[in-house]
Amino acid sequence: MKILTTVKKVVDVELNIHVENGAILEKGLQYVINAWDENAVEAAVQLKESHKADTTLVSMGSGDNTDIIRKCYAMGIDNAIHIDDPNLAKADSPTFARVLQKVFEAGEYDLVITGKQAQDTDAGQAGIMLAEFLDIPCVSNVIEIKVTDESHIQVSRLGDEGTEIVDLTLPAVVTVSDGINEPRLPAMRGIMMAKKKKINVMDLAGLGTSFEDVGGTDPKSEIVEFMAMEKRKGGQKFEGDPAEITAKVVDLLVNEAKVL
Amino acid sequence: MTNILVVADIKQGELKGSTTELLSKARALGAQTAVVAVGSQVKDLAPKLAAAGSDTQYIVDDPSMEIFSAKPFTAAVVQAANEFNADMVWFGFSETGKAAAPRVAVQLEAACANEIIDVTIDGDAVQIIRPAIANKVLQKVKIHAPKLVALVRAGAFEPDPEVTGKENVVTLDPPEADTDAKVKELISDASGEIDLTDADIVVSVGRGAKDQAGVDLVKALADDLAAGFGSSRAMVDAGLMAHNKQVGQTGKIVAPTLYIAVGISGAIQHLAGMNGSKVILAVNKDPEAPIFNVADFGIVGDLFDVVPSLKEEIKKIRA
Ligand SMILES: Cc1cc2nc3c(=O)[nH]c(=O)nc-3n(C[C@H](O)[C@H](O)[C@H](O)COP(=O)(O)OP(=O)(O)OC[C@H]3O[C@@H](n4cnc5c(N)ncnc54)[C@H](O)[C@@H]3O)c2cc1C
Ligand SMILES: Nc1ncnc2c1ncn2[C@@H]1O[C@H](COP(=O)(O)O)[C@@H](O)[C@H]1O
Repeated sequence: MKILTTVKKVVDVELNIHVENGAILEKGLQYVINAWDENAVEAAVQLKESHKADTTLVSMGSGDNTDIIRKCYAMGIDNAIHIDDPNLAKADSPTFARVLQKVFEAGEYDLVITGKQAQDTDAGQAGIMLAEFLDIPCVSNVIEIKVTDESHIQVSRLGDEGTEIVDLTLPAVVTVSDGINEPRLPAMRGIMMAKKKKINVMDLAGLGTSFEDVGGTDPKSEIVEFMAMEKRKGGQKFEGDPAEITAKVVDLLVNEAKVL
Repeated sequence: MTNILVVADIKQGELKGSTTELLSKARALGAQTAVVAVGSQVKDLAPKLAAAGSDTQYIVDDPSMEIFSAKPFTAAVVQAANEFNADMVWFGFSETGKAAAPRVAVQLEAACANEIIDVTIDGDAVQIIRPAIANKVLQKVKIHAPKLVALVRAGAFEPDPEVTGKENVVTLDPPEADTDAKVKELISDASGEIDLTDADIVVSVGRGAKDQAGVDLVKALADDLAAGFGSSRAMVDAGLMAHNKQVGQTGKIVAPTLYIAVGISGAIQHLAGMNGSKVILAVNKDPEAPIFNVADFGIVGDLFDVVPSLKEEIKKIRA
């Protein structure tokens, strides 16, 4: 089985993010692997271990992605493709999905595993749209993958009414939730080996396409401005005898906030 | 005139509150409204769908649609959108919506926006506002495509009690099942409990509650308040709470009148799911816990002492 996983480099959401004049301030930002993509990588590596799958990751964006790719190599990924093109700096999910389509078509993969969403866009679109463009089946928000045979897998999806068990015919796209696994911490040996591995870097032309071809020059929507999120403020804090302070707080909830 | 199709949010045969909220907003924008209901035995919902503010009800009712399957669900929505000549298709915030919206957008060649909290229509110019980066910033997004598919964040639009529509039922054929993604089974999590996303009050439990006894203690508080009972991911990971109880970026987005966080630290991913609540009360023994930065009322103390007291006080006012 040939597996393609997608790995995006995103801003670290644990750090403060500042907005000025409609844009995000670059200063102080740090970049990490998208959390859900780490789950996708772990899922792929587990399939490699249990079913000898061949695993390839693709990361799209402009600039140096070496650190996150090496981390995935250290986790056990076999091959890495970095589509490094300055045009992709501000691309949206449908555009990335079109690029993924080109990567998929060039590689004859059986299964694509993506994160359920990217932490920076919070869009949750690229994987699902890829399947739609390729006209292959897709299940999103997956928490378990089981291999049935060479051309079928069974997945569990967290839906609105419970857990849906779905039989998928390959090739297919699966987007994973963080509930699927606990990404491993790479072992020292893996980290050392990862340093020696090659990364296949190419731009859109190298992939046999162009920014226009993947819809980049004619986006369906465009972010025109970032705004700071109005921050909630911490209110009154109470400490002391539980009976006393709970009586006080309940009184405030009833008479001041009027929510009880 | 803008035509807005709202996808009815139906769970266990019941129409969810978000449908009214979305239709209220659509009408406030001066749009023509229609709703599409997809499922098994949903046709009886038509009068309710009209009362919720739609002037046309597209019904796709078939036993094959009982368990969600993305491809036929999408086909049903696309069929309704085409019949209605929809300029916009709006979904409530649900896993169904998250799975179907990007597909509907591709098929309609529309722009797709997730988690929108506002939309403005000015002639041909359409703009939406949505949070991004784990709810840390807001984006203003200009829509260039002629059509927009949007998933509306829970609690973004207020229901208008005055709003109503008229019954005009259009029955559509059920789409074919997906033979490449066959839904074998649904392990239902229907529990008869109050639904988190519709609840007026939500009480959530975190790792501070430690074990089953702690969970039961906090659950009893939720029961006394007739509140929805949610949780942080730590408790789901520990196997103490079901997946569908998780509040946060990967779980449910809730925006109740009162959110009570018990023994929850307030990680960014948890906050992303509840900081739209009107009033937040936090109980935590650590005075420095980040949850206090968003809580309107904070009780610093051991939950095993505080929760029983809270129950007592609530009993008094409810008596
Ligand atoms: C990709 C990703 C997605 C995620 N999505 C979600 C999500 O959707 N929802 C979510 O909740 N988390 C999510 N998380 C996890 C999140 O980062 C936190 O790990 C999690 O929310 C912590 O849960 P907690 O607050 O219950 O536990 P902890 O962080 O361990 O906090 C426990 C708190 O209880 C307090 N406490 C301990 N004992 C007592 C006592 N006796 N009385 C009172 N207080 C006490 C402690 O002071 C502490 O503040 C996600 C993480 C990632 C990486
Ligand atoms: N630039 C990118 N590089 C690699 N993977 C990406 C990229 N953009 C999106 N993806 C994948 O698609 C998923 C959904 O992204 P989004 O639609 O932005 O939420 C992410 O979890 C990634 O796995």
